[in-house]
Amino acid sequence: MLEVSELTVAYGGVLALDHVSLTVPEASITAVLGANGAGKTTLVRTISGLVKPRSGQVLLDQRRLTGRAPEAIARMGVAHVPEGHGIISELSVDENLRLGGLWRRDRADHRVAIDEAYELFPPLASRRSLAASNLSGGERQMLSIARALASRPTVLLLDEPSLGLAGAILAQIMARLRALTAERRLAVLLIEQNARSALSVADEAVVLSMGTLVVRDKAERLAGDEKLRHAYLGF
Amino acid sequence: MRTFLILTVDGLTNGFIYALVALALVMIWRATRVINYAQGAMAMFTTYIALFLITHGVTYWLAFVITLGAGFVLGAVTERVLVRPVEGRPPLNIVILSLGLLIFLEALAPMLFGGQVKSFPAPFSRIDLAVGSTVLYVSPFDIFVVASVLAVMLLLTVFFQRTTIGLSMRAAAFRPEIARLLGVRVGNMLTIGWGLAAMLGALAGLLIAPAIFLYPNNMDEVLVFGFIGAILGGLESPFGAVVGAIVVGLVLSYVGGYIGSDLETIGGLVILIAVLMVRPQGLFARGRQRQA
Repeated sequence: MLEVSELTVAYGGVLALDHVSLTVPEASITAVLGANGAGKTTLVRTISGLVKPRSGQVLLDQRRLTGRAPEAIARMGVAHVPEGHGIISELSVDENLRLGGLWRRDRADHRVAIDEAYELFPPLASRRSLAASNLSGGERQMLSIARALASRPTVLLLDEPSLGLAGAILAQIMARLRALTAERRLAVLLIEQNARSALSVADEAVVLSMGTLVVRDKAERLAGDEKLRHAYLGF
Repeated sequence: MRTFLILTVDGLTNGFIYALVALALVMIWRATRVINYAQGAMAMFTTYIALFLITHGVTYWLAFVITLGAGFVLGAVTERVLVRPVEGRPPLNIVILSLGLLIFLEALAPMLFGGQVKSFPAPFSRIDLAVGSTVLYVSPFDIFVVASVLAVMLLLTVFFQRTTIGLSMRAAAFRPEIARLLGVRVGNMLTIGWGLAAMLGALAGLLIAPAIFLYPNNMDEVLVFGFIGAILGGLESPFGAVVGAIVVGLVLSYVGGYIGSDLETIGGLVILIAVLMVRPQGLFARGRQRQA
């Protein structure tokens, strides 16, 4: 279980997150919604250690993540699929994938995890040895998620996976994500601007506005509440 | 024809040594986005360590191995002590630091080892081989130089392409932030990168010293020629750096042999200017342009 409590982040004098608290239980998806600049990306970047908070803390199964380096947090089981997917285009598809969990001691299981990732996303398997720069937008997003899963994480942070994806591919990836969350008992934090798509897979949802958490509710209730949808989500 | 052959062999052998320096510069450029101006001085210093060991009774080959190790340590310590504290600061900081290290090492070496020009042993004969009465213009030492540089390049390629650390280092060099999110200890990768680069430099120092002798700034020109080779290759490409450095070695050798040895250094600058005018991004650069 991922617990964020009273997290406050400031860039210079500007508050990007103001006492934000939320929990993501295992085997569930929490969607983080909100407009551009609401603090969604700051939230995941703080959880994964790229941004240092001013106060507050993040716990993973009672272990403190705050204050640790990003590479240490990654090795504790937090996989971050960054905005714009973060594929290293100079490397091959296979090299990108192998980087997911490359640090793991269990080399045999690392190979198994890579094979599983190829099975999950067959389009990647046929492009294994190509430079990742040859992939389409959808394939890059698949590779990024596959790479995160290959490290056998307990927490998955997804920052705008819908960005630049066609509707059909997005629906496919979201369905896959839903199944994997249950199967691997992942705690998933799904950052989205595309509220409709996020609410369709999430269990819980929170809405950030100007760095403050303004709504926290069951995803289906949020999707059904017309007033909230109009006020914060624009649909 | 005879002169041409002699100059070609000479140019190739030197070019392979410049290639080591060029590779070292490219490795550090790719990992840290700086030119290490102390690369030559570090190699000079490790060559002094080798000579010290050899004159104190250590065999050449043991001294050879220890010197490569000392090169790695010197590079790794440089990264930890000098480079790490100015990480994320303007690139000029590290440029000044590497120039400072250059001056420091060139002052420290004569204090520790004496400032006079010293000869440095070669492990194989430097007299050209002959079959019967036909001279081949290639000495056993020339063969050793080319073979050891080729072996090192092969090892480096295998290291970067086939090992876990090699892949982590490439990821760290291309996208440090993404690499950290994937659990790569980017700081350690930089340390190893600087260590390996200095190890290449140490090998260059050992291989060139029998020809140019050992004195506190004996590597200055070698650094410049390696640098020109790296620029010719586009500074991003290890393969380009090697080809660029061999071109530099050959052209300098022809300029020195056919026109006059005083003009060798100028010849290097002429190639640099000519290439930069025609292809400012270097001969082998792919995609994006180099800045500054």
